Amino acid sequence: MQSNIFQEQAKVVSTKQIADNTFETTLFSPDISGHVKPGQFINILPSNNWSYMMRRPMSVASQNSDCISIIYKVVGEGTRLMKGWSENQVVDILGPLGNFWTGYNEYEPILIGGGVGIAPIINLKNHLDSLSINCNLIMGSRTKNEHFLNHDPENGIYMTTDDGSLGIHGTVIDGLRLIHSNNNKQKIFACGPPGMMEAVKFFSDDNNVICDLAIETIMACGFGICQGCTVELNNTDTKKTSYRAKYALGCIDGPIFRAKDIKTCYL
Amino acid sequence: MLSVKIKDTVFKNPILTASGTFGYGDEVGKFIDIEKLGGVVTKSVTLHPREGNPQPRIAETSSGMLNSIGLANLGVEEYCTSKLPYLNQLDTNFIINIAGYAIEDYVKTLQILESNNGSHSGYEINISCPNVKQGGMEFGVDPIMTEKLTKELRKHTNKILIMKLSPNVTKIEDIAKASEIGGADCISAINTLVGMGIDVKTRKPKINTVYGGLSGPAIKPIALANVHKIYKAISIPIIGLGGIQSAEDIVEFILAGADLIQIGTLNYKEPGIGVRLVSDLENYLHANNINSIADLKGNLNI
Repeated sequence: MQSNIFQEQAKVVSTKQIADNTFETTLFSPDISGHVKPGQFINILPSNNWSYMMRRPMSVASQNSDCISIIYKVVGEGTRLMKGWSENQVVDILGPLGNFWTGYNEYEPILIGGGVGIAPIINLKNHLDSLSINCNLIMGSRTKNEHFLNHDPENGIYMTTDDGSLGIHGTVIDGLRLIHSNNNKQKIFACGPPGMMEAVKFFSDDNNVICDLAIETIMACGFGICQGCTVELNNTDTKKTSYRAKYALGCIDGPIFRAKDIKTCYL
Repeated sequence: MLSVKIKDTVFKNPILTASGTFGYGDEVGKFIDIEKLGGVVTKSVTLHPREGNPQPRIAETSSGMLNSIGLANLGVEEYCTSKLPYLNQLDTNFIINIAGYAIEDYVKTLQILESNNGSHSGYEINISCPNVKQGGMEFGVDPIMTEKLTKELRKHTNKILIMKLSPNVTKIEDIAKASEIGGADCISAINTLVGMGIDVKTRKPKINTVYGGLSGPAIKPIALANVHKIYKAISIPIIGLGGIQSAEDIVEFILAGADLIQIGTLNYKEPGIGVRLVSDLENYLHANNINSIADLKGNLNI
């Protein structure tokens, strides 16, 4: 699946705040942007003097022929440095990595994003729009300041907030219940925090809806070397020990997994 | 200038990649010119496939990381069919790292590899994995067992036989000596140190197996001391490793007594670091009027 990986010296085009503590940085990276598919990620070196051993993996949030963007909340040293990147600064990124969203042609897609997990969902939404594929999009957050899209049910765009300050008062599952029908034609594409993902997985198992989840894991290399980023699968053949059948790798077997195949979203 | 000879094998430069930090070469080979390296040491292979340890398997620490992968690997049969063909056509050396539980496991794995006509230069024997109950550590902490295992493996191969030692022992030089007596051609030092991290919010260990192996620049001073102790105790070549991230780090290891070095954890941060350090090291030697890297071995002013 990974025929083309590039270690690219990308150039920072811009960084803008799009919601509360949420930033979108656009990078000029023609090698990666020319090959990345929605759902894939890059592994970022936050600075040349980065004293930690791990890059920071992030999903691509938008792409065109020359540029990609990433969306992140500032939570630690890496994202603090990233937010401070200056225009035209050169940054070292590795990608495109991992598998990508598939099967949106054969179904009525329902896209679900939450927290910083919105990035690969936004990229898929843009992709579907460009292909004129209709879809529903549900975005969940705690409160309206964390949202950067409008609640627009007429166009299939639903915002949910835990506190009811925007859109549907509740979680993405409340939005999903509104949209879900038993026509067996729908497919869920979701990415978000573990609790949200677990709820979506439970809903899809319960209602027999096909569902793909982009899973976030603790990761070092991003391309199958370190074997740190495991996702435990529902391996039925427990007697036979085999490589990657029980513990798949988030970076090369994922980040996208079929919901029914994985044991838990809490990693 | 950079080439080093071990047994009958010429390494075009002293920079190898450490087992477990470079997969089987083919993954990195897709975007890095790995043939520029002195060699590649592939991830530990065992007689049968291993699924490895539950997550979380890795955690970041200051200037290092903890890991407890649990020797997850595809097993020797699959290694021979799916990985050897790629490695065989590489225009650089590769060394196969083997792990096991009992002498018979190591021997059988080595015999299968011998019978497959690989173009590998040798074997690195992992007797030092701290993360699985029987990861060979019972060999790595006991000179008698180390000598016995080395002797047994020596009977089955003429290729370079390297014993990879653990720093989690009282006297590493005793294990090195036992390897030399057993017939090893070379020593690799060091494997990871037993370490721990705790998430104060959940009060859970950061690694599923509670303790993991610490690697990275944090362990470099310990690795250097161990290499130097081994150098004083034995006369066979040494491969030094532990947190190397610059040409100066390489020179330090060679001054301490190493002939070759391996780059480990830093491969995660910069997959092309080994290739970069080949030219950095060359520049260093030029700038300091050193004709041959081999002249530096053990050339320490004490």
